[in-house]
Amino acid sequence: MHLDLRYPIGLLLTTYGVILAIEGAVVQAMVLGLNVNLYWGGFMTACGLGALYLARRRA
Amino acid sequence: MKLASIDIVLIAIYGAFVLAIGFRLRRQMVGSAEFFMAGRSMPAWVAGLAFLSANLGAQEMIGMAASGAKYGILTSHFYWVGAIPAMAFVGVFMMPFYYGSRARSVPEYLKLRFDEKTRGFNALTFAVMTVFSSGISMYAMGALLALLLGWNIHACIAVSAAVVLLYIALGGLTSAIYNEVLQFFLIVFGFTPVVYLGLRDAGGWPGLAARVPETFVHSWSYLGRADANPMGVEWFGMVMGLGFVLSFGYWCTDFLVVQRAMAAESMNAARRTPLIAAVPKMLFPFLVIVPGIIALGLTLHPNPGAAPLLPTLADGSYDYNMALPMMMSRYYPAGLLGLGLTALLASFMSGMAGNVTAFNTVWTFDIYQSYIRPRQSDAHYLWMGRMATLVGVLVSIATAYAAMRFNNIMDMLQLVFSFVNAPLFATFLLGMFWKRTTGHGAFWGLVAGTGAAALHYELTNVTGAVSLLPKIAVMYSYPSDMAQNFWGAIVAWTTCFVATGAISLGTAAKAESDLRGLVFGLTERSTDRERAWHQRPAVLAAVVLTLTLALNILFW
Repeated sequence: MHLDLRYPIGLLLTTYGVILAIEGAVVQAMVLGLNVNLYWGGFMTACGLGALYLARRRA
Repeated sequence: MKLASIDIVLIAIYGAFVLAIGFRLRRQMVGSAEFFMAGRSMPAWVAGLAFLSANLGAQEMIGMAASGAKYGILTSHFYWVGAIPAMAFVGVFMMPFYYGSRARSVPEYLKLRFDEKTRGFNALTFAVMTVFSSGISMYAMGALLALLLGWNIHACIAVSAAVVLLYIALGGLTSAIYNEVLQFFLIVFGFTPVVYLGLRDAGGWPGLAARVPETFVHSWSYLGRADANPMGVEWFGMVMGLGFVLSFGYWCTDFLVVQRAMAAESMNAARRTPLIAAVPKMLFPFLVIVPGIIALGLTLHPNPGAAPLLPTLADGSYDYNMALPMMMSRYYPAGLLGLGLTALLASFMSGMAGNVTAFNTVWTFDIYQSYIRPRQSDAHYLWMGRMATLVGVLVSIATAYAAMRFNNIMDMLQLVFSFVNAPLFATFLLGMFWKRTTGHGAFWGLVAGTGAAALHYELTNVTGAVSLLPKIAVMYSYPSDMAQNFWGAIVAWTTCFVATGAISLGTAAKAESDLRGLVFGLTERSTDRERAWHQRPAVLAAVVLTLTLALNILFW
C-alpha cells in the first residue's frame, strides 16, 4: 500500500476531536442538557489516537 | 442555517486533508496500473470501506433520510434486501471472474467473455451515465448548500469540481479510494450524534414508534398488499424487482463499485471487499433512515413548545428532502454543525470522484485504447487518463448547469439509463455461469432487455402522477413510482435472460479454452480452508446474511 491510511484517519479524527472538545469546554453550548461538542469531541479524539497508535504499532 | 467560524474551519481542514493526500500520492502514479487500478495494492478493509463509500453520495444521504420520513423503516429494504444479498453474491461467486480474468474494467471482462460489440455497448452507456450522474449530484449538492447556507451555487460547483479534479488527477484511483475511506469515517462521526439526540428527544425508539403511523416501524408486516403500505409495493415486487434485479444489477455489475474490489491486493482480499462493506452497510439504516423517521415523528407530534421539524411545500405536503438538514439544524451547535456539513460535503465529493475515476478508466481502456489510439505507450495512456479526468469533470460541470436549467431533461436521462441497467445482470449471470452463452446472445439480449424496459414504461403509468415521457398506450396503472420501477426491472431482466439464452443456443459458442478463468466450471476454484474464518469469503457471507436476516426479523 502507498500510505498507511490509519495515519490520515487518526490525524483527521484527532484534529476534529480536539477542536470540538475545546469549543465544548469554552462555549459550553448545551443540547438536551448535554455538552455535545465536549463529549463527542473527546470521543473522536480517543478514536483518532487509537488509529494513530495502531498505525505506529504496525510501522 | 448560519455557520460560525469554527464550522468553516472544520470544512477547510477537510479540504486541506483531501488535497494533501493527492499531493502525497502524486509521485507514486508512475504508470497506468497505479493510476487506474491503484496498483492492485489495497488491503481488504480499505477496498471494502471504499466499495461502500463509492455508493454513499450526498444524494444517497439526503435521499435515504427523506425516504425514511416518507416511508419509514420500509426504506431499509434498500439495504437489507436491496444490497446485502447482492454484495455477498458478488464477493463469493463473481469476484473470482472479475479479478481472476485480470480485466481492468467491467466492460473489458465483457470483451474477454463475449466480444467487442458487447464491451462497446456497455462501455459507452456506462461512460455517459457516470459523467451525467456526477454532474447531477454536483448540481444537487450546490443547490442544497445554496438553500441551506445561502452560498453561491456557482462557487460551490466550481470549488468542489476543482478539489475533486486536483486530487484525482494527482493521485488517481488510490487518491479517490483513500478519500472515500475518510468520507466513511466522517459520515459515521458526523451523523451519529444526530441519531442519538433525535431519539433522546423523541423518547427513545418506543417514544418514536408512538409518534409515527404503525406502518413506519415495520419492514415486512404490511408488504402483503401494495395498498397496505406507504411505498405502494407488494412483497414479490420488492424481493424480485429490488432485491434481485436492481440490486444485483447494481452491486454485481456496476464498475463504479466493482472497481474498488478490483483494486484489492489479492484475490482473497477482492472477494472479501464487498463482504467487509456489507457489515457497515447493514447498519447504515440506523444512521440515515432513522433520522428521517425521527423528523416525521417530531413533525406529526412535536414536543411541547417545539415547532414541527419538517417544513411544508407550497402544496401543503412535507418537504422530506429537508429531513436530515433540519435535524442537524435543530440539534447541532456550532462545531458539530461544521462536522455534519463536512460529512455531507465529503459524501458529495467522493460520490463525484467515484464517478470520475470509473469514467476515466472506462474511457481510456475501453474506448480510447480500443477504438481510437491502440498500441500506444503506457505513459501515453497515463496522460490520457489525466485528460479524461479533466474532461469528465468539465462535462460534469456542464451537466450540472444543464440540470439547473432543464430539470426534466435530467430526470429523463436517468430514466433512460435505468432501461439500460435493468437487464445487465441477466447478461452477467448467464455469461459467468453458462459456458454456452455467446457474444451475439449477450449483445442482442441486452438490446432486447433495454427495449422491453422502455416498452414497459410506455405501456404503464402511475396512478395520479404526471409521466416524464408521452405514453403510447396505458395498459396498466401502478400505485407508485417504485412499483413501476421494480416491475419494469423484472420485465427487462426476464426478457434479456430469455433472449440471451435463446439466441445463444442458435449461435456458435466460444471454445472452452478461450473461456478459462471467465466462466464457472472452467475456472479453478480457490480453496480458503486453510485460512482463518474471517478470511474465508463463504464464512463471512454466511455471517453477513445471518445478521441481515436477524435485522429483518427484528423490524418485521
